[in-house]
Amino acid sequence: MKDRNKFEGTPNPQEKYYPLAQWLQQVLAVPPLQSQLEPALTSDETQNGGVYHRRFYRQLPDFIMALLKNDPEAMLHYAPLVFHLIGCPTCHSAYLVFYDAMRVALQEGEAPRQTTSTLHTLATTPARMIVHLCQSLISEAEAVLRQAHREHMDGDGLARSLLQQAIQISAHLTQGHMRQRALRELVRVATLFEDFSSTQEQPPALHSYSPLQMAGNGTRRGGVVRGADTALHPAEQTAIPIHSAQLEGVITQHEDTLELHLQDLDANLRGHYITISVLLGSLLEPVRWLGGNPRAIHSVVPVDEHGTLTTPLGQTDLRLSNPEERNFLEAMFLKLDVRLAD
Amino acid sequence: MIADAAEELLEMPFSAHDLRYHLEETFPVLYAYLYQRAQRYLGPLKYDAFEVDQVVEHVIEYLTRFGVMGGGDSAPETALDRLTNAQFYAFLNRSIQNKAIDRLRKKRPPMYTLTERESSGALEDEIDPLNEASESFWGAAPFATPEEAAVEAASQDEFRSLLKHCIKALSGAPRQFQAVIQELAELGADELIEDMRAEFPEVFPADLQLAHLSQHKDHAHKKLRHCLQKSSTNLAVMIALRITEYGEHLTGGDELSVHISTLAQEDLSEDDVRMGLKHLVTEGLLNWHGEQIVRCSSAQEKRLARFYEGE
Repeated sequence: MKDRNKFEGTPNPQEKYYPLAQWLQQVLAVPPLQSQLEPALTSDETQNGGVYHRRFYRQLPDFIMALLKNDPEAMLHYAPLVFHLIGCPTCHSAYLVFYDAMRVALQEGEAPRQTTSTLHTLATTPARMIVHLCQSLISEAEAVLRQAHREHMDGDGLARSLLQQAIQISAHLTQGHMRQRALRELVRVATLFEDFSSTQEQPPALHSYSPLQMAGNGTRRGGVVRGADTALHPAEQTAIPIHSAQLEGVITQHEDTLELHLQDLDANLRGHYITISVLLGSLLEPVRWLGGNPRAIHSVVPVDEHGTLTTPLGQTDLRLSNPEERNFLEAMFLKLDVRLAD
Repeated sequence: MIADAAEELLEMPFSAHDLRYHLEETFPVLYAYLYQRAQRYLGPLKYDAFEVDQVVEHVIEYLTRFGVMGGGDSAPETALDRLTNAQFYAFLNRSIQNKAIDRLRKKRPPMYTLTERESSGALEDEIDPLNEASESFWGAAPFATPEEAAVEAASQDEFRSLLKHCIKALSGAPRQFQAVIQELAELGADELIEDMRAEFPEVFPADLQLAHLSQHKDHAHKKLRHCLQKSSTNLAVMIALRITEYGEHLTGGDELSVHISTLAQEDLSEDDVRMGLKHLVTEGLLNWHGEQIVRCSSAQEKRLARFYEGE
């Protein structure tokens, strides 16, 4: 196997710089535990375990274009990237692949070809590919937020936009378990740096609800068994069943108003008002939340003596009876926390 | 070619702009295009759904990373956004081809045999991605290996200048600075050390007795890594160069003057320029307090020239 640190070849004027070059490689090598040791330059682990240095990765197209156009200042302009490529094999490999593709693009160009003129829509696109797209968007949103956090920049706008698109696109998935896969990381990413903000301090939730999804074997809580790919029951089409451990609830719609119904709540909640927090409520904007803050929706009535509660959450023009709009709203309720009101 | 015979040239069904601003509507067309190209280049693996997905997903992932997929106005444009439609298609096509070749190479032993290639019709179709690739795959890219990039960096004056300034910045921690100088001396990089001694005599302390050299070295390397990869370092060199290049002498005086927008040219933002100027101020090379016009004396001009020339 070739030793990467050995410089081979015929003697040339650059030979005298080889020792310095070797030393540079040693200095610039991305350390294996960089993420813990060097917060200013950390990489982000990708879903497949690779590393992703977003700050440098995003410079590749412009750097390559400058090289291809023989820009005399390209090297100096992109010096930090060049230094990075010396020490990062992953980014260097990406650089080679993109260089090749960009070079061909500039040299050749190509007329688009399509096997048929069939109308392509999300309905005709394989669900697994839509899932992958949503996961990629969410993953990129996470990288944006991490980079912004490290470099004290504002990445909220882009991250929000990517997450919103992931939700919007996932709403076209008719199968609940595929939507679940597509948005698996959504709540975690959307709330990634909230721990760093003292303004978000709240007591722990008493119950944390999420939409009731099909289990992998086609069963669902409550013992009803059906195929995993089966469409929703008519009743579920116009409602969003939710659960928290053994507790169940449902979100329904009465005209424009979304209503939360909870049952079997603890004895210590009975007779008390509660505060409801819809964690992703501010990520999406089509709901006018009761009280204006989706993180602090106060129930309009106390929990009754049987442990049930019915209270409005807000108003929306979306309709639970429309499958895509229902799926869109379902994504918003991926995490709904309940606390005792002050 | 058989595969091409079934294809028909169409109006551009999508562009990079469509993907950036109308992802929901455009993605299905992109997918159909990538799928068809992946099948073509995967040859004997074209009916392997897993392999086709691997290739398509790879391209989707990096288009997302470059901000092309759904980036809207929030993700800064890159050169990819500025390609013509025909160039963008060629870029996608080549990217698919490269990834397909990557998959074929991984699968080659034991299943991608000549017999299988013949039986799969790869030769009949006259498409042999691996042969096509052997001529032009990755072309003659500059810095084809990290070693080449390192030699380039070590031998170019501008890069050596950046390196010297980053080493000099270590002088706040004399033991780390001395550890690096000692390391360079052991490498035989005497020229670099002598340059530095001439340029920055003040940072060379009297001989220090170094204990725990490796610990100092590790800390120094970390700081160097950070310094070399941060933008302000090279921006300062670029701005120093541009001040002397584009600055104009005011009538009847030695003072050099240049507007920030002139320093920005077309490739830097004014914020980049300000970052570079701040770096020059901290190096003591310039008096600048945020004005739109940058001024420097002839003495400062000479020092700026030395700064970017690194001599």
